[in-house]
Amino acid sequence: MRGADYVLKRIFFAIVTVFVAITLNFVLFRALPGDAIQSLRCRQCTEQFKEALRHDLGLDKSKWEQYKLYLQDLAHGDLGDSLRTQKAVRSELWEPIRNTLAMVALGTVFSIILGVVVGVVSAWRRGTFADRAGLWTGLTFYSMPPQWLGLMIVLFVASSIGLPTSGISDPSLGILTEPSGWTLFVDRLKHMILPAATLGLVLFGEYAIIVRSAMLETLGEDYVLTARAKGLSNWATVWRHGLRNALLPVITLIALSLGLIIGGSITIEYVFSYPGIGLQVVEAIDQRDFPILQGAFLLLTFAVILFNLLADLLYFKLDPRITT
Amino acid sequence: MKSRALVVLVALMAAVLTAAGCGGGGSAGSGTSGSTGGEGAGQSAILRLGTTNYIDSLNPFNYIESQAYNAFIMIFPQLVQYKYENGKYTFEGDWAESWSHTPDGKTWTFKVRPGGKWSDGKPLTAEDAAWTINTTVKFASGPTAVAASALNHVKNAEAPDPTTLVIHYEAPIGNTLAQLEQFFVLPKHVWQQYAEGDGKGLKTYHPEQDVSNMVTAGAYTVKEYTKKGRTVFIPDPNFWGPPSNAQAVALIYYTNSDAMIEDLKQGNLDWVDQVPFNAIDVVKEDPNIETVEVPGAETTNITWNSNPRKPTNRELLDPRVKKALSMCIDRQKIIDVVFAGYADTVESIVGHISSLENPNLGPLEHDCDAGNAMLDQLGYKRGPDGTRIAPATTGQYAQPAHPMRYRIMQPTSLDFNGKRSFDIVKEGFAQAGVDVSLWIGGDATAAYAIETGDPCDPAKNQGYDKFDIAMWDWVGYIDPDFMLSVLTKGQWCSWSDTGYDNPAYDKLYDQQGTEIDPERRKEIVYRMQQIVYDDFAYTQLTNHKFVDAHRKEWDGFQTALSAYSKAYYTAPHQVG
Repeated sequence: MRGADYVLKRIFFAIVTVFVAITLNFVLFRALPGDAIQSLRCRQCTEQFKEALRHDLGLDKSKWEQYKLYLQDLAHGDLGDSLRTQKAVRSELWEPIRNTLAMVALGTVFSIILGVVVGVVSAWRRGTFADRAGLWTGLTFYSMPPQWLGLMIVLFVASSIGLPTSGISDPSLGILTEPSGWTLFVDRLKHMILPAATLGLVLFGEYAIIVRSAMLETLGEDYVLTARAKGLSNWATVWRHGLRNALLPVITLIALSLGLIIGGSITIEYVFSYPGIGLQVVEAIDQRDFPILQGAFLLLTFAVILFNLLADLLYFKLDPRITT
Repeated sequence: MKSRALVVLVALMAAVLTAAGCGGGGSAGSGTSGSTGGEGAGQSAILRLGTTNYIDSLNPFNYIESQAYNAFIMIFPQLVQYKYENGKYTFEGDWAESWSHTPDGKTWTFKVRPGGKWSDGKPLTAEDAAWTINTTVKFASGPTAVAASALNHVKNAEAPDPTTLVIHYEAPIGNTLAQLEQFFVLPKHVWQQYAEGDGKGLKTYHPEQDVSNMVTAGAYTVKEYTKKGRTVFIPDPNFWGPPSNAQAVALIYYTNSDAMIEDLKQGNLDWVDQVPFNAIDVVKEDPNIETVEVPGAETTNITWNSNPRKPTNRELLDPRVKKALSMCIDRQKIIDVVFAGYADTVESIVGHISSLENPNLGPLEHDCDAGNAMLDQLGYKRGPDGTRIAPATTGQYAQPAHPMRYRIMQPTSLDFNGKRSFDIVKEGFAQAGVDVSLWIGGDATAAYAIETGDPCDPAKNQGYDKFDIAMWDWVGYIDPDFMLSVLTKGQWCSWSDTGYDNPAYDKLYDQQGTEIDPERRKEIVYRMQQIVYDDFAYTQLTNHKFVDAHRKEWDGFQTALSAYSKAYYTAPHQVG
């Protein structure tokens, strides 16, 4: 019963946070002095044209009415229309988000696997060369600016392994013939590897350091000593008694960072001309396309809240003590 | 636990791979190593062209970027175009087979090729050209102003039969063909619906949003368009000229020029149409790549808001102040640092590409001591922090005393390193006691709107009131008419980025347009350049070279015809 309380409470807080985020997103773009049309830059925008646009967007109504309208539209999944393309924000953001999610997921899986392996080995072989190598490699990658690492990969790694450095598909793909699903899949994957690896390497450093630290703590616990005394193999001791107990902070970190990663991959997407949400946001800023920006910020905020909620729920699953 | 972890991992990977396979297309990209442009090695000949300059619009009445202009050349009929032989540019027919004019030079008759078709199958006739001309002239001071300078002094046009186009001029003009080379014929049956009423629809129509229904006639049709991604040109089977050697041209936009060069070196691209200046030497060392260097048409400048009615910082209207500040800019440093030596200094707005560049301007010396002395003499004393103070003024545009502290606006769409240029300019201005900061103006459209002001209305002298200084570039033409036109009042709220308003200059502009004696026209054009130079509407910085690079699997590139001819895309062919 306590468990259900905990879950309900977390979900309730997440909903409240979403509501606050929605409100802030409204305040940020509409309640401040001026409006989006005032900052819209278009040659020969007449006052009449701007007034018409204001009317279309409902910006000529009172702020309170605008807020109600905004909530009403959101409830219907309507994020408005892009000022530049006049297409629905939802459809404008959908493709970039899919592209980013795929790349971020690949990079994150890579970083988790590598980070956990290096962290565990470092902790298990504390003080040895393997530990020092793992620690310093992790620290080095963690401290690298992602855009700089990406650029180094473009300049020094891409050509030696023959992977494309830019975009999401081959320049000639699908022009003269329709590619098969498999060709398309392989092509997309190849284009995703370098940006995902860049993201993964930066995250790997962070994860490796945290895993090492958490592992060192758990490996010093009495139950690990008991496990060893019982004659369990090294693998069983580390895996069953060490790693599983060390995973709590790691899962928190991963969940917390996942939401931020999506928004934070902007620089990586820019280096690799990767058409994800980051590049879309840059372009919207460039073009003063506030509905796109508002939609993107809202979705990124949802992502952070969602992953935080997932972390809370996972915590509950992994560590029942938190409900007591 | 083991199996559950495995299930989670597999599920996660499946999600990634599904997204990878089904993710959005239409984007910048690079290809498989070693391919010559096919979807498998040797399968086809797609010419893959990398660029850091994007097509901002496919509407000839509403564009800014030079890559868009190049696209218009490829997809719309022109009456004439340039050819380049023995180091000289001359004219040849594109859609027009022949032309003649009456002895008074006021009526030009073009015989256009018969049997032409638009991409939707409708006939392409002289009536389309006549309609485009008449519509452009009709709305020249409004929606079609961007394209109207090519039709200066045109009274009207008519099409007595499907292959005859007659253009009537108010007065004979000396550069008819050079002007008409910049004129694109549009399909009347598509565009006439946008020309109703005040014609604003002509400017707000976005054909690039649905290229599958975009009607074109030229060397290519547009199969796919992504503004900052991939644009695909497919040869038009109805094209009247030498057909494209490539089965398609894929223009790939890169946000990162290092990645673009890396893709060229790897063989993922066949051609880069402007090699980043810091990469030219590296590219030249690659045995698989050939570089071609031709005089460039692009000049960089400091754009001074020259609107005589600008409300603030009016000291920047004084040419002596602008000259003094400009003398503190180390242009050679910009050439060395930003352009790696692949540029020259330039004094005239028309640039080195122009056949009528005035060689007697300047040169502007880099002499900051002299610049400081001029500012001291003009009464701009340094404040306690070293920044000069502009004294208070009285009268209609009175302003209080204020520190000489300004923002320099730059667009994000510069295809060279604008930030580095700004740093050098800032350094020079600081030596003169003037503090400047960078104002990122957004993409070309947003930045241009900052310059013109919003709203902008030349009839009410409204506009050009938001910025003081900008840094940008211009891509000039062989004939100087266009570049001279951007400083006329007629181009306010369209191409004018300075708000320059000088009736005497405008009069000379009209005169040069109707002067048919080449020597007398040259004299007027020289005088106009001198006026602009003396008024410091711009401080011209550099004229950089045009360096393209292609892989040796391809040949036949007509680098000198960039933005001048359809042959720029149609001529390259695979070797062997």
